Amino acid sequence: MNCETCQLKELVVEPPEIREVLRSILHTILFHRALGLVRPKDVECELFDIIYVQCEDHELEKKIDEKINQFIGWVEKHPNRKSQVCISFYEVKNKHATWFGNKIERFYWEQWYINLHIVSPKPHGKSHNTKAHVVTGENAFEESNSRCAALGSSLREVLLQIINFVNEKKDHIPPLQNSEIVSFPYEISTPSSSDSSFGWHADVLKRMLQTGHPSMLS
Amino acid sequence: MASPSESDRKIITRFLHKTLHAVVASRVPRLHHAAAGPASPKNDRWFHLALDDHPSPIDHHGAVMDPLVFDILLTRRGCSDVIVERWTVRCVPPAPWSAASPHHPHDGSFLRRTYKKCTILLRSIYTLLRLLPVHRIFRLLCSSSQPYNYDLCHKVLSFAAPFSRAQEAELKQYSFAPVETMLGHLVVSVQYRPSLTNFNLEVSLPTPPLIITDYVGSPAADPMRPFPSSLPDRMSHPIMFQYPPRGIRTLAAPSFDRPHSWNSASMVHHPLSSAPGPPDSELGLSLPGHYGHLVPNQRSSMERKGSSGFDESKLSPPCWTSPSPSPPTRVGNSQQSRLHSGTAPVSIPMPATENNQMHRSPNFSDPFKSLFPPPSPRSTRTDLFFRESPLKSRSFIKHEGFSPGDIHSNLHMYPAYKAIKDGRDDSGRFSALSSGGSPGYGFSSSSRQSIQDDLDDEDFSYPFAFDDVDTSDSQTRSLDGKETPENAGSHKSREAAVGILVQMLKTAAPLRHDQSCSMRSLEPNGEASISSSMMSRKTCDALEELQSYKEMKNLLLSKSGAKLQDSVKQRKESSKTLILN
Repeated sequence: MNCETCQLKELVVEPPEIREVLRSILHTILFHRALGLVRPKDVECELFDIIYVQCEDHELEKKIDEKINQFIGWVEKHPNRKSQVCISFYEVKNKHATWFGNKIERFYWEQWYINLHIVSPKPHGKSHNTKAHVVTGENAFEESNSRCAALGSSLREVLLQIINFVNEKKDHIPPLQNSEIVSFPYEISTPSSSDSSFGWHADVLKRMLQTGHPSMLS
Repeated sequence: MASPSESDRKIITRFLHKTLHAVVASRVPRLHHAAAGPASPKNDRWFHLALDDHPSPIDHHGAVMDPLVFDILLTRRGCSDVIVERWTVRCVPPAPWSAASPHHPHDGSFLRRTYKKCTILLRSIYTLLRLLPVHRIFRLLCSSSQPYNYDLCHKVLSFAAPFSRAQEAELKQYSFAPVETMLGHLVVSVQYRPSLTNFNLEVSLPTPPLIITDYVGSPAADPMRPFPSSLPDRMSHPIMFQYPPRGIRTLAAPSFDRPHSWNSASMVHHPLSSAPGPPDSELGLSLPGHYGHLVPNQRSSMERKGSSGFDESKLSPPCWTSPSPSPPTRVGNSQQSRLHSGTAPVSIPMPATENNQMHRSPNFSDPFKSLFPPPSPRSTRTDLFFRESPLKSRSFIKHEGFSPGDIHSNLHMYPAYKAIKDGRDDSGRFSALSSGGSPGYGFSSSSRQSIQDDLDDEDFSYPFAFDDVDTSDSQTRSLDGKETPENAGSHKSREAAVGILVQMLKTAAPLRHDQSCSMRSLEPNGEASISSSMMSRKTCDALEELQSYKEMKNLLLSKSGAKLQDSVKQRKESSKTLILN
């Protein structure tokens, strides 16, 4: 079985925007993979003029928020860096009994990489001149608005990209195994604090190479 | 057990239904609000997408293989409908010349895959519906209680005329990946407008007929009717000052500084003007039923708040329904009193047969007269002569002539009459005419007899009829009782005119005065009421008179200097003869 991988368009975000961006993307992906009985709920982004859909499931929301909080915690320690959040769907295959216990094999059939470039907000220019300071403040406000609008447009593109991918790739989806809302087991991976200076890319590559023996990083 | 093809057909049919359901629920506010709530369990099963149930079933009555087209239309007031989205769902059979259709196993796995793919496709459709521009409009219409000048509706068609090239140029298209079924490929596509900024979509601010509940009639029409500030406390009606207003009775919070009705500036506050009214949430009467769900809620709230006020607004013209603070006599019969007291100050008083006749404007024909300043006596005379009954006009004419002995002192604008008639006191004579245009306005009962006498006076002359030279000349002749030469007569008339002008200017009261002070003295002193009413009339009349004097002056000057010289010569000769005699 092939593992379909989707690299989403990179988004340049500031720390306050991370939560909204990740929520909209993760919920949109999961909504398309929640093939159980779902009551969709429209959620309006606070920062952008976008409405995304999420499954009305408290557990799912809680899990996603936890992962987002972890990612934000990592960002605070590693500011101004490019990073990724990965959501993977897998199948649990054979359970091989070993001397050390049962070995669970996971076969990842789909992975989504959410690419984020975290930037710090630009500080306002210091000026002793009141008028210049006001003008600078106004310019910064306008810049912030335009940047936010651009980010909203990019986010919309990312959501459309998800829709395109979901519709183009359907054959790799395994049969439904349960009647839960999110029909397939999944995991959300975020960079961890113990990562090396190379980031967690090494761990991701390692995991990808270890087909059938992936392990959760966090 | 159903055959695979039948199951496939059922899946396709249900998919069409569900897609239409999802689109309409996300595009048509009317149906969105009318949704009964959670969907029935039966509908939930299909594609595992629980949508709110719709009050009326949305069925696609066409064949499975017929395309399903639903247009989302943007309807705007005064404009034609525009298709902003077109969703097309169709099952495209495989081409007959294509390779043999792949063999689909009949174990049901293909059906399960088809069903799974349809489920995913439906979720993609649901997500895309929220990302398209029209959804923003839908949210605005659903969430806001304000009326908008547009609405969204839908049409379900089996076949739709293709767009023209110009239309297609304005649209973008998105096609979902087809889902393979036994009957063909299930294709869903949408054509949408990427931008809706070209349409003038805005909140509509209807200007419903508003009722000024604190309407204050012209004191010229009713000198006994005090201004709100001068009323005793018992006259105030708490109901009038409620806000939010009942129905739409109040145009604005009652304000005691509202300009009076006889001021032309008060037209701004006229209910038929475009002045902003109460908040939109309070306005429901004029909302067209076209704007679906917005109307019933507001109307019901309006009805809950005050049906009486609403009914009143229906029954009465805007400017008549004014339960403003008023003297006790009007409380009991507010409707009638409004009809009587809220009307024009320019009216012809009936020959008074009742004691309170003076308090009512007898002119009920034109309720909007009260909104206009009272005309000058000259214009009033002209207007009313043709409008009113002969008796009224006669009475008006005679009022213009006034009863010298009974008219109060403040009518300084008519010194001509005083000079012409006799040596009676001006103050009493002119009071009626400055009361707001209604010549008989404000006359006391005791003056009725004298008024009647004046009606019979054929020698009455209008003091302002100086543009009518012949009339003035004839009047002068009749008054003097002499046949003077024409030149002397004209000279005397000119002199008289000049004298009158000078007298009027000398005795004219200042234009500014404290009306509230004058009106406070209404009740205890009827004479003061008349004088104050005359004062209120003075401003506009004075301006008109000034105009007429200017014309007079020009006329006099235009009548060549030769005439003046001739008259001067004649005068000299006559004076010489007198001296000699």
